[in-house]
Amino acid sequence: MNARAPRPPRTAPAALEVRDVTVRFAGLTALDDVSFTVAPGSVHALIGPNGAGKSTCFNVLSGLCRPVHGTVRLGDAELTRLAPHRIAALGVARTFQNIVTTEGTVADNLMLGRHALSRAGFAASALRLPRAVREQREHLAAVRAIAELTGLARHFDTPVALLSYGDRKRVELARALCLEPSVLLLDEPVAGMNAAERARTAEVVADVRTELGLSVVLVEHDMGLVMRLADEVTVLDFGRAIAHGTPDEVRGDPEVLRAYLGGDAGQEDAA
Amino acid sequence: MSDRIPRRAGALVLTLLLCALPFYLDAFWLRIGLFSMAAAIGAVGLGLLSGTAGQLSLGHAFFLAVGAYGYVWLAGEPGPGLPPALALVLAVLLAGAAGGLFSPVAGRVRGIYLGVATLALVFLGHHVLLTADSVTGGFNGRSVPPLELGGFAFTDGDPELTVLGVPFGAEERLWYLGLLLSALTWFTARGLLRGRPGRALTALRDSETAASVMGVHVARHRSAAFVVSSMYAGLAGVLLALAFRRVVPDYFGLALSVDYLAMIVIGGLGSVAGATAGAVFVTALPLLMTRYADQLPLVAAPGSAEGSIGPTEAARYLYGAAIVVVLLYAPDGLHGLARRTRARLRRGRSAPLPSDPATPSRPAASAVRAKEHTP
Repeated sequence: MNARAPRPPRTAPAALEVRDVTVRFAGLTALDDVSFTVAPGSVHALIGPNGAGKSTCFNVLSGLCRPVHGTVRLGDAELTRLAPHRIAALGVARTFQNIVTTEGTVADNLMLGRHALSRAGFAASALRLPRAVREQREHLAAVRAIAELTGLARHFDTPVALLSYGDRKRVELARALCLEPSVLLLDEPVAGMNAAERARTAEVVADVRTELGLSVVLVEHDMGLVMRLADEVTVLDFGRAIAHGTPDEVRGDPEVLRAYLGGDAGQEDAA
Repeated sequence: MSDRIPRRAGALVLTLLLCALPFYLDAFWLRIGLFSMAAAIGAVGLGLLSGTAGQLSLGHAFFLAVGAYGYVWLAGEPGPGLPPALALVLAVLLAGAAGGLFSPVAGRVRGIYLGVATLALVFLGHHVLLTADSVTGGFNGRSVPPLELGGFAFTDGDPELTVLGVPFGAEERLWYLGLLLSALTWFTARGLLRGRPGRALTALRDSETAASVMGVHVARHRSAAFVVSSMYAGLAGVLLALAFRRVVPDYFGLALSVDYLAMIVIGGLGSVAGATAGAVFVTALPLLMTRYADQLPLVAAPGSAEGSIGPTEAARYLYGAAIVVVLLYAPDGLHGLARRTRARLRRGRSAPLPSDPATPSRPAASAVRAKEHTP
């Protein structure tokens, strides 16, 4: 394994196909026959009012939540049957809406992102076998380069708990990138960030997408960002996919306008 | 990186000091040291499980017993009578295997619930130790065959040994064995904590979801942490048995498990140095108080009048109080306290800053963590 940091994904880019996925929580239908396809190397945005099922959809994609029926395929793999760590090993990485970092420095968190790519087990690490030490050193170099890329280099050895909200969001993004994913799931990557931080994150997402050719699934309330980054948009409302299309098509869709502006469906919440 | 050299130098001085102690201390102090070292090994193991992986265990005494009795049985009569050095290694593996047998539970049950599940092990173990007479010697226990390595026995004689005018008896010899095993424990535990498994376990503790999404096999890592922790407990058990020279069932009760929890809480969860410091504190305190009972106020000499507080009870009150103080004022334990003091000293030496952005008190690894985010 060489130390150049962000590399193209290990697996050949494959389409992520979500077919007829239904999720129910005790009578509440969180996702209702949702289907969409994320083309390899594209940015696919999932938008919709709060409670529309966007995060549930992410939980299905990353294996945290099992659908009642429906399939999620990445290439040949059927993701709904796999445990989360197996899905991670296939190169699907995600961030969380509410930041979920672990104790320790930025470096520690990013190194966690290398877990699926490294092998040192309990015995090798305890005895500090040469291969475990070498592996750790190589991954540390890779992780440092990703920190560089995401603008976290100067915080590399800072405990995550001390970072600002925006920086912690960025740690999550960087940690997901450390997995060298072929599919990157971003759950509100710029929520709570100021304009400059938003621009910076958008830039990083655009960069990794063009340079590494990975697919990005994006949940975001910031419509400016969605319109700028997304190739395709799926709109969810009450667990149903009510519209698909390019950002421009979706913007003019009457169903979408109704979901966002009309009735009791709730207003767009930019926070 | 800049403080690496002073730190290395400090470690070297400390090592030399520890190696020199048997030339100056009498058997009483050496025995305190031995018990402390054994406890430190066990505490490091428990720290790995409870501090780093966030899995509470009340069954540590059981695995200490497996190690201690495993060694006694394997090396002794009745038993296979294996060479003691081999018996030591096998006893550690046996404790690991016992932990492995429990792994279907340890891999699935989280945090405080595992604490309740492991509670059963202590009672089960105690019962077996009392009833399986042929192996454990029942209520009276068994005497511990001394360790022998290549004809060199860790006893008072055989061969007689005098180094620099100091006669080397069992305590002096075992002291160096204890140092060696402690060093091994430190080396391996720090390797684990700073390596891939340590990060995975920390992640598991802080958020099971995040860990699994990052590729950590949750059940496997929980089981492995339990097995490794059991092996450290087994090693501690063997060293304890060698130091006591007799193993009895009543020692391996629930109170012992609680003592180990006290050690890692006082020392600071998730740190090898902290676990060691806590182990020394909790082990040495009752022994010292027993020794100096006559000079302490409010504490009666052992075995004296009823209605007064004996030194052992007094020591328990004291370290109970220590836990409360630690949880209130230094939730990251002695280790966190030391780190903050060091940082303050360093800051005092360099430019004094108005606030402290560089060295924060990290969010403490509190004793009971039930932090689990749902995405």
